[in-house]
Amino acid sequence: MNAYQRVMNTLTGAPVDRLPVFAVLGAYGGKLTNTDLRTLYSDAGAYVAGQKALQAEFGFDLVLCPFDFSAISEAFGGEVAWCADQVPNMKRPAVQEVAAALRLPLPDPEVTGRLPFILEATRRLSQIYREQVPLIGVLPGPGILPALFVGMDRWMDTVLFDAAGARELMDHTGSFLVSWANALLAAGADCLVFTEGMAAAEIVPRGIFEGQFLPHLAQVFARIAGPKVVSSTGGSMNHVLDLFPGLEGLVGVSAGSRDDLAVARRLLGTELTLIGNLDNLTLPTASAAEVTQLSLARLRSSGASGHFILGNSGADLPQATPPENLRAMLEAAKSYSKEIGCGI
Amino acid sequence: MPSHELSEKLLNAMINADRSGAAQIIDEALALGIDPNQVIARVLDPAIVRLGQLWEEQAMSLAQNFVAAKIAEDALLRCIPTLEGAPQGSKGAVVIGNVEDDFHSLGRRAVGLFLAAAGWEVHDLGNDVLAEQFLEKALEVNAHVIGASAMMQTTALNIRKLRRLIDERGLTGRLKLAVGGAVFNWRPELVAEVGGDGTAHNAVGADQLFLRLQAEAKGVAP
Repeated sequence: MNAYQRVMNTLTGAPVDRLPVFAVLGAYGGKLTNTDLRTLYSDAGAYVAGQKALQAEFGFDLVLCPFDFSAISEAFGGEVAWCADQVPNMKRPAVQEVAAALRLPLPDPEVTGRLPFILEATRRLSQIYREQVPLIGVLPGPGILPALFVGMDRWMDTVLFDAAGARELMDHTGSFLVSWANALLAAGADCLVFTEGMAAAEIVPRGIFEGQFLPHLAQVFARIAGPKVVSSTGGSMNHVLDLFPGLEGLVGVSAGSRDDLAVARRLLGTELTLIGNLDNLTLPTASAAEVTQLSLARLRSSGASGHFILGNSGADLPQATPPENLRAMLEAAKSYSKEIGCGI
Repeated sequence: MPSHELSEKLLNAMINADRSGAAQIIDEALALGIDPNQVIARVLDPAIVRLGQLWEEQAMSLAQNFVAAKIAEDALLRCIPTLEGAPQGSKGAVVIGNVEDDFHSLGRRAVGLFLAAAGWEVHDLGNDVLAEQFLEKALEVNAHVIGASAMMQTTALNIRKLRRLIDERGLTGRLKLAVGGAVFNWRPELVAEVGGDGTAHNAVGADQLFLRLQAEAKGVAP
């Protein structure tokens, strides 16, 4: 059974030879290939080489399209901050006001900025890994997208004090999100992960998510054909998980690292896949033995019922993460799978 | 209406994100003839302190924290309509900024608003601030506390450069380093790792932290 079959079977609830394991690794590929991150996140060949190196070194059950939201910020007119050891970040948003944001031309996925680089890397990865290893695209949810071109301060201000303006801006940018998602799928992405920061309890309470963001998430999902996963990039999501079943094309949720997986399973029902929920801050600093124990605890809590993928909860793992910690995740999944008789 | 009752009403408005209601309460206090400085000290400040206690007891979201900061800013501006031209904060000068390579400004801005509302003279250097820039400004404005913010672990580690610089200049103990940001709430041990002298879990708690650090710094100053 290859990684693609393993993940697809997990999503559909079919038997697997072992439980799949995800680790969000992009910049780490640059570390393995001695490539600076400006090149890694601008050159499709360099990025693909990084993902190939990660597959060769670890063999996780996914390959990742470039997960770099600064490219979206840049496509809207923002400025990028390039860093030596982490994924580039937004340095300055394109505009400071919502009125100006409404006048921004929407980026063309095939033309604007570094978006074509992401699509080209996705195409090449798809050619290499089609039906061998699932290719995962990552994009912002509709609730957090405006922060990428007006900045988080202004966006939060608008959400909290100008609900109509926030709605108008999400309506305006929703079509870009749909075109970007469909472009990633057309380029070969097998599944899309929407990182919706507004679904995190640490950011907004349930009422705001349900009233202001969930309707946009539902609208956007209805216009995208492929399978979708929702992530809050590590923040707690159990307070809104019961709202997710029924979203069109939703196949799974990446749980927050503080979320109780048993509660998450109860809230999601039995058919959606749960991914998680190792803490991004722990993985670089814990020992391999600790990672093994943390992984086994999650597998034992949620693995037996199926529809579960062990993974980190959050964004790109730091380059400083020890390789033995990453291997410990995989070894834990192998060990646990043997324990419960997978593949027998 | 006594100031403590006004403060209680203001607190409720903050919790309920009632920005206009909060403005009315401040206007009411001013209309009663309470001195604007007393409105800040006896109506606004107690509400902010209580918010900090609530943060410790319950989980306030970033949104609620942001709303509270905005309301505090509104209230402050109502009390001091020409803030920029008005005498600067009575508690002393502080320098804040997001550390080198960090661009997540929301928490820092909230800290700046709360500190200003609490009576500090705030020098906000913005995002991606180099260690040298922090130190240069602190010396220029005679600040005893620098507040360095970082959201992620990778950028938080850049605070170590500022720690080294403070120590190399012989300012250890006389210039205190407050650190903050989401990553410090998740990993409190990181405060010591980056050489921080203290942290607050949220913007509301920044006033007490900066007061303590400033007192410590002055205690060892010549």
